[in-house]
Amino acid sequence: MNVIPCSIKTLKGLYDISGVEVGQHFYWQIGGLQVHAQVLITSWVVIAILLGSVILAVRNPQTIPTGGQNFFEYVLEFIRDLSKTQIGEEYGPWVPFIGTMFLFIFVSNWSGALLPWKIIQLPHGELAAPTNDINTTVALALLTSVAYFYAGLSKKGLGYFGKYIQPTPILLPINILEDFTKPLSLSFRLFGNILADELVVVVLVSLVPSVVPIPVMFLGLFTSGIQALIFATLAAAYIGESMEGHH
Amino acid sequence: MSSTVMASAPSFTSTSQQFLSRVAPSCPIRLPTVSVIARAAHENGGKPRLPSRLLKRLALSSRPAAIAAAAAMVAASPLPALAEQMEKAALFDFNLTLPAIAIEFLLLMVALDKIYFTPLGKFMDERDAAIRGKLSDVKDTSGEVKELEDQAAAVMKAARAEISAALNQMKKESSAELEQKLAEGRNRVEAELAEALQNLERQKEETIKALDSQIAALSDEIVKKVLPTV
Repeated sequence: MNVIPCSIKTLKGLYDISGVEVGQHFYWQIGGLQVHAQVLITSWVVIAILLGSVILAVRNPQTIPTGGQNFFEYVLEFIRDLSKTQIGEEYGPWVPFIGTMFLFIFVSNWSGALLPWKIIQLPHGELAAPTNDINTTVALALLTSVAYFYAGLSKKGLGYFGKYIQPTPILLPINILEDFTKPLSLSFRLFGNILADELVVVVLVSLVPSVVPIPVMFLGLFTSGIQALIFATLAAAYIGESMEGHH
Repeated sequence: MSSTVMASAPSFTSTSQQFLSRVAPSCPIRLPTVSVIARAAHENGGKPRLPSRLLKRLALSSRPAAIAAAAAMVAASPLPALAEQMEKAALFDFNLTLPAIAIEFLLLMVALDKIYFTPLGKFMDERDAAIRGKLSDVKDTSGEVKELEDQAAAVMKAARAEISAALNQMKKESSAELEQKLAEGRNRVEAELAEALQNLERQKEETIKALDSQIAALSDEIVKKVLPTV
């Protein structure tokens, strides 16, 4: 029986240092409803970073781009290329959606890894990447669903629903199921990856506080970028899929 | 922090308790064991040991004071009670945050579209078009240059033809003049020659005439000399 208190002490010591908190939220009451304040605060910071850097960089575009403008032109080219590859020639109106999706998720993920949120103490819970919360990822995934439904309906009218019995009516249940699995997989992939990444880093830091977690942190940065790319690519692919003609 | 372990208030801030509830709510012993193994492995120079041996070692090597404190802790707050008090981890806690984030996202999309995607995209497209226009202009001027080159070649050709024609004409003219002069000279020489020959002939005849008259006189004298006193 000595083992258990001893190990509890050990654990306590470790996690007093690392301070890992998962699933703990700092609640605000708004009209009888609750919100996760830490998610909203970090998302505001992310939005402020995005808008601020964009305004600074492209406030006065030059013919020969330098520094920030160059970077944002590259990002825009990248997003246009991604949208064009997935949606096709009519990608133009979807660039803002895909681009905002990519930039918001990317900056959110990297803010979780790079910004020292832990400096700011909350009464409960802790600040982390906004994509660390299932509400954020589900909101983004649902917006993607709405977007591809809107794309299909505006392009083909009610004929869009004809795709449910393509190529054969037997596949109707599976085709309907797809509309539920798409947002589900989108949101859980992003949520799980970011949460797992932050947990791995925190647990490693608590076990071996120096040097060893650094490669994992870089891996986390890589994963974060990849997840943002995957989310934006899949959103564009779904939109393109609902807009393309049936054969 | 150890005081919070034993506290019975519903809201906890102790991170270890929260972690326990989150990671291993049903079996709180598993994770501690893992971390103890990890720490012990660290102490033993990185070599992991068998769990049972390790646990024995740890139990034996624990300081008496720590054991006493831990025992007191366990007595004061047994493990099942601890688990009950731990706050539930709310990983899948859907609430107003979801629509709030959705609205934030839409607003961000509109704002980014207004200040980034549309203006910069338009700017880039316009620049692209301008560059394309300039490039095609450059292609046009290259055609112009070719035309000018052709013109220059034509002018050169014409000039060359003119020069050669003039040269030919000059050659012809000068040769005709030369011919004329040559013929003139030849005629004059022939005329002079004919005149000289005529003079010569006349002198010959005159001489012959003179000689004829002298012949008569001479023959008389010869006859006188040869035939003395005829």
